[in-house]
Amino acid sequence: MGDEPSRGPMMTRGCWRLVDLLSLMLHPDERDVVRGDLAESGAAGVQALRDVLGLVVRRQVSPWTHWRPWLTLVSLVAPLGMLLSITSRDTADGSAVYVWMYANNWKWGDLVNAGFWRVFAETALIVFKGYLTLVCWSWTSGFVLGAVSHRMIQTNRVLFCLMLWFGALVGAPRYFVYYFQYVHRTFGFPSLPDPNAPVFALAFYREMFPLIVQLVLVVGPSLCGMRQGSGIARLRPLLRKILWIAAIATVAAMVTQNPELGLFLRIYGRPGIWDGWHIGFLQLVVYWPLGYLVASAIERHGAAE
Amino acid sequence: MLGEFEYLILSAATRLGEDAYGAAIRQEIEYATKHRCSIGALYTTLDRLEAKGFIRTRMGDPTPQRGGRPKRMVRVTAMGRRAASEFYAAVKRVSRGVSWETNRVAVR
Repeated sequence: MGDEPSRGPMMTRGCWRLVDLLSLMLHPDERDVVRGDLAESGAAGVQALRDVLGLVVRRQVSPWTHWRPWLTLVSLVAPLGMLLSITSRDTADGSAVYVWMYANNWKWGDLVNAGFWRVFAETALIVFKGYLTLVCWSWTSGFVLGAVSHRMIQTNRVLFCLMLWFGALVGAPRYFVYYFQYVHRTFGFPSLPDPNAPVFALAFYREMFPLIVQLVLVVGPSLCGMRQGSGIARLRPLLRKILWIAAIATVAAMVTQNPELGLFLRIYGRPGIWDGWHIGFLQLVVYWPLGYLVASAIERHGAAE
Repeated sequence: MLGEFEYLILSAATRLGEDAYGAAIRQEIEYATKHRCSIGALYTTLDRLEAKGFIRTRMGDPTPQRGGRPKRMVRVTAMGRRAASEFYAAVKRVSRGVSWETNRVAVR
């Protein structure tokens, strides 16, 4: 009871801090109006927190009475989240082998060996290309979600992260187990011992590394893409159309270029589908977020001057 | 047909006239009903009324009393006044002869 007087203001400050944080989930205009109403009515911290929380919950829940958010959840949030988790795991496992190889066989003397640098450059290029593609796919997925979400962007952000988290911990590992069983059963491939078993015997490469890769190369870029996508309505119609085409092409590339998915869909065996200029072009289109971000930065820089 | 809370908002906003905005409407409703009116209920209902064409809202000027933040000004449209009037008439019709109506008349 002795600390009661100091707990009061501290609790009030804490409540107002939460009010500030929660208000971020409201539209900027509404945020200002509500904060103004609270200031005018002289609401206490707890009361203000209850009011803002109530409004935020109502704002986030009310769209779910319509079909649109459900369609977005089923057709975009869930499949894109799962697909990115699988691709992220694939990329992480692929690069984990190289990381393990260099970390466990490191000799300072190799640094003066020209052959070492040639192989290292080749390896780095492979890993970098894989990471860059994953970043661009993630950014584009976020961009598409942001563009279609409008007022649901906060909820979809949380749902998408939950989907990625579920995909990383449950979805992707199960998918790969099923995939290997499928390949063994359907194509009769023998079950050979995994040559990379020593790498994945280590908990770091098996559990932690895929999560780090997903956090840095998927979660970050997709949230950034969502923020950019939510502002698509402000762009010129022609630019909007171009961005939509690029985004759809990238998502199509993500679906078809995922090697395991291609095998499931049985499109790998078809002659002519994986060669030709269109595939090369599609591979270039995937990197469109880089061009978009550079162009946006130049435009912002020009506007600032 | 209006909901009862929608009716309360339309009535309060009409009474306030040019001075109708979020906090003022809320105060009017709380004074009249002796119940707390949550900001969440108020603003989501204002959106619904605006979507139905019963009110128009615009951002007002910021005031120092509100920490320099703007008000959401509310104006009841002709359609809104008609809907509120019909609701009131329906409440009067349906209340005719019920005990509280009779008591109210008796008190008079």
